[in-house]
Amino acid sequence: MTETTENPQTAATAPAAQRGLIPLPLATARALLLAGGILTTASTFLRWTWTSDFPGDLTVNGYPGGLQVLTLIAGIITALFAVSTYGVRGLGWLLPARNNAPLVLTALSGFAVTWYTVISIAAELGGIVNWEPGTYIAAVASLLPVIGALAFPQDATDSTKEALKAYIAKADHVPAPQATAPWIQRLAITIVAALGLTVFAYGIDAEDELFIGFLIVVVFTAWALQTAGLFDRFSRLTADNRSFALAMGFVAAIGFPFTQTNDHYANLGVNILIFGTVALGLNIVVGLAGLLDLGYVAFLGVGAYTAALVSGSEFSKFSGVQFPFWAAALTGAAASLVFGVLIGAPTLRLRGDYLAIVTLGFGEIFRIAVNNMDGVSGPDITNGPNGIPSIPDLSFFGFDFGQNHDIAGFTIGRFANYYLLMVLISALVVTIYRRASDSRIGRSWIAIREDETAATAMGINGFRVKLIAFALGATLAGLAGTVSAHVTYSVVPNPYQFAGAAPPNSAFLLAAVVLGGMGTVSGPFLGAALLYLLPEKLVALQDKSLLAFGIALILLMRFRPEGIIPNRRRQLEFHETGQLDVPDTTTLTDEPAITKAGA
Amino acid sequence: MNTLPQQLANGLLLGSMYGLIAIGYTMVYGIVQLINFAHGEIFMTGAFGALTVYAYILPDGTSMVVAVPLMLIGGGIVSVLVAVGAERFAYRPLRQAPRLAPLITAIGLSLALQEVVRNFYPGADKDRSFPSLDGSHDIGSVTITDADIFLVVAAIVCMSGLAWFVRKSRTGRAMQATAQDPDTSQLMGIDTNRIIVIAFAIGGFFAAVAAVSYGLKYGNIGYRMGFLMGLKAFTAAVMGGIGNIYGAMLGGVVLGVAETLASAYINHIPGMQQLGGSGWANVWAFCLLILVLLFRPQGLLGERVADRA
Amino acid sequence: MRFGGLTAVRSVDFTVNAGEIVGLIGPNGAGKTTFFNCLTGLYVPTEGTVSYQGTVLPPKPHLVTKAGIARTFQNIRLFANMTVLENVLVGRHTRTKEGLWSALLRGPGFKRAEKASEERAMELLEFIGLAHKRDHLARNLPYGEQRKLEIARALASEPGLLLLDEPTAGMNPQETRATEELVFAIRDKGIAVLVIEHDMRFIFNLCDRVAVLVQGEKLVEGTSDVVQADERVVAAYLGEPFEPTPEDTQPAAEAESTTSTKGEAQ
Repeated sequence: MTETTENPQTAATAPAAQRGLIPLPLATARALLLAGGILTTASTFLRWTWTSDFPGDLTVNGYPGGLQVLTLIAGIITALFAVSTYGVRGLGWLLPARNNAPLVLTALSGFAVTWYTVISIAAELGGIVNWEPGTYIAAVASLLPVIGALAFPQDATDSTKEALKAYIAKADHVPAPQATAPWIQRLAITIVAALGLTVFAYGIDAEDELFIGFLIVVVFTAWALQTAGLFDRFSRLTADNRSFALAMGFVAAIGFPFTQTNDHYANLGVNILIFGTVALGLNIVVGLAGLLDLGYVAFLGVGAYTAALVSGSEFSKFSGVQFPFWAAALTGAAASLVFGVLIGAPTLRLRGDYLAIVTLGFGEIFRIAVNNMDGVSGPDITNGPNGIPSIPDLSFFGFDFGQNHDIAGFTIGRFANYYLLMVLISALVVTIYRRASDSRIGRSWIAIREDETAATAMGINGFRVKLIAFALGATLAGLAGTVSAHVTYSVVPNPYQFAGAAPPNSAFLLAAVVLGGMGTVSGPFLGAALLYLLPEKLVALQDKSLLAFGIALILLMRFRPEGIIPNRRRQLEFHETGQLDVPDTTTLTDEPAITKAGA
Repeated sequence: MNTLPQQLANGLLLGSMYGLIAIGYTMVYGIVQLINFAHGEIFMTGAFGALTVYAYILPDGTSMVVAVPLMLIGGGIVSVLVAVGAERFAYRPLRQAPRLAPLITAIGLSLALQEVVRNFYPGADKDRSFPSLDGSHDIGSVTITDADIFLVVAAIVCMSGLAWFVRKSRTGRAMQATAQDPDTSQLMGIDTNRIIVIAFAIGGFFAAVAAVSYGLKYGNIGYRMGFLMGLKAFTAAVMGGIGNIYGAMLGGVVLGVAETLASAYINHIPGMQQLGGSGWANVWAFCLLILVLLFRPQGLLGERVADRA
Repeated sequence: MRFGGLTAVRSVDFTVNAGEIVGLIGPNGAGKTTFFNCLTGLYVPTEGTVSYQGTVLPPKPHLVTKAGIARTFQNIRLFANMTVLENVLVGRHTRTKEGLWSALLRGPGFKRAEKASEERAMELLEFIGLAHKRDHLARNLPYGEQRKLEIARALASEPGLLLLDEPTAGMNPQETRATEELVFAIRDKGIAVLVIEHDMRFIFNLCDRVAVLVQGEKLVEGTSDVVQADERVVAAYLGEPFEPTPEDTQPAAEAESTTSTKGEAQ
């Protein structure tokens, strides 16, 4: 339906029914798209305002700054897609399905970020007198590709609304890619990993207006790439080169602190990583075994408190005891494991809904109990609401995590040290997740989730495998908790609640899994990054962030329950379709490679 | 003051409040097998609805005899609207979705409702004071307040009304049929959507009654009051046997009494001196839930359901 | 087996020998599936026991499967969002023992076991003719293939006794014919088969012995000819009330819901 195909066979069948929303000849539309993209790019080299009061310094001719850089990037992407419509050799891969949506969305990306900039200049500096000629050029230039893109012909529909919808819909059919040499595939993965790191590092450093601009460009561009079918292609690529892709992801993650000059951003990085790792642990429980755990953060808390108690902090009840980190980590994980079994054993025999409520209760009870164990209203163990402060920094073989270190000319600060430690732990958890899911036990988790009766009839001891999943999830959370205790210097009861304004709390953890994509490895990390950065960066949201979060959860379940990165199985589960889903191992080349459900 | 009869009375009162809220969980669960996680917030909005009537609609100095019924109506309207709205716009579109989807929606709804009240209700970012009924009466060694009398009367009236409704009325019987087998009921000409809406509405109204009692008894309400009360009420519903309305009330009373007695007496047990007091009441309530699930997972009045192959 | 006041199955005494195909027929509501569910531990019989190769089986489905009894379901219950191969691999669960640790450590033993499991699963897929669809999601298979896959999944647990609950329900004559061949092929592997079916022709073609279940009780048992000739069977199917035998009037008679199932070790 959305396919405006240049494919000779199909083009011949239905040429008459095609027209653009804006009636322009195809050649004009293309020209507008390309010219607009190039003009937008060029306009960022002019100055957009006269005073450097506007953040990012947009006053220099010949050198784009701040939001102009984002406009520049959006312009270049628009132009690239435009060139690709001319069938230029080497750029055909950008538009495998030859559909209009990527053109419209990239054009919108440039338009939105430019106009956002232009309007905020006027709004913040007080009026349009602060615009320079460059500003006008940019505003007009960024509008051209939108007009051009909407003039591209597509199958005629009855209403304008339908037509607009079709302009942003994903291609129904993405042709399978031509075979490429392994080194090209690996090169592509490497480039994407590097790009990913750059985008992430840029986003984490961006503040205020720049972050909003960044969001605009990233959201529209990602959407464009998705509609073009490039995400599907890339996920196939990574599936074919799984170990290499994982290794590149790992390298990119390690590279992050070296892109940062300010340890504050490394702090954001380490928190996101802790959050993401815990979310991945939760994904074993929720995504694989289908058990809803609403008190997951309590297991993180058990780990954190255990580590704090044996850290040698002078405020700990056992201040004389100082375990080495490996022992503390094991103790923390073991303590969480014990609680996991205690909670899981009575409830996992019952229907799944009971587990949800018991874990919810446990999460709340953990906080209340820890709050009360201050020696006054309960036994003296955790210092009550004051928590356990002054947890000493870790030290491995003389490598003090509290100190700055110079590695190859880069200064690695305290948080960056912990970040690197956390990368290792994340890698461990990713390995555990992948190995567990692709094994006898992982299959039995999925089987239990799919149909518990049939699974037990196949000889699976439902209670046992569910308990293993639940306990494994708890253990991993405990492990991450031990690191988080050291990163934050202190443990207090308050963060370990069901829902709060800042992560991690159980609701955010669950949301990270659901938003990112249940049953995937990268989903929880993406979800965690978004849920951590959005409240952190969008200061305007402030105390409305939880409200926005709640509404977002409802809308997410209504409109995209499979999350941003859908798991193949999950997507089919949420959208009943009769379509064939033939994975890449089939020998038939003419079958659809990955058929998208829903749409 | 802290005699055993007094403690029992306190537990009974607290338990009736749990029971009233638990009805909402159990009715909805009985019919659509959904944990309406946002029910605690429906209770909370009911309290604010009642407060609105008292503080912004009625003239100052209105006698409580006039005010309380009006507050009940106001709170009831708000709770029922929120409950029915939640069903219509959040849950109904997900009725065929996997089990996880409505639960996550419920969590989102719960947070959104709390935040709406906190952000937009005047002064609701802190606890707001609620008119209390604190005239007290001594019956033997037991002291109870007017609010307690209101709660007991309201609970008895509501429960008997519900029992009559479910057993005798046409809609009530349709409700039972839908709970047994929604598909067949639909074939028999029962409008299941209507039945589900009614279940949500009744649950909402009962929550509002509990909310007004809560306000009258404790004298203040806050946007977070629904979370723990909701959790306890759900515990009560599970303990009583989810899906069974009498079980919900029984579970509530058992939970309330157990919790009160635990916080009053557990510190007399050697070795547990520091585990008494109200701070630990929730912990004991939770332990009780775990025990019930271990030894009687179908709940006190529940029946075991077998999976059909 | 009783549900509330209703006695669904009572006093069904039943033996299946190795290498034998036994059919279980009866009008709707006769208690055939309930009997299956009792056998496989899905329902806990109110009274009576199930024994296999001389040992009494606990009423836990996974232990029953482990002991060597596998089943299919009347309404297909595949793991819809798993691939064809994965479905069969799940069936291998009881015949493999690699736990979480070996999955995490991925030692040579794990790899060997996974490889062996996959080979065995592929053999079974070849056997039922679905090898070329190993990576399709089960939900996307046509109906007939889903039935076959369910049988393959059950066979993967290397049962001594296979219970088929209406394997040809909803099939056209050709598919029914193919299923018949498949069941014979399974029998030729030395597996005892117990089939519930409505399709009389299918049952009488297939089975060495047929038992008729009416209103929860075994009416007759014997070869196809014997059963076909029995007028009580015809009466039961035509809807004539089943005359209770004298001992049924005494509640004590319900006590026996003994099911002894004998098969021989592979």
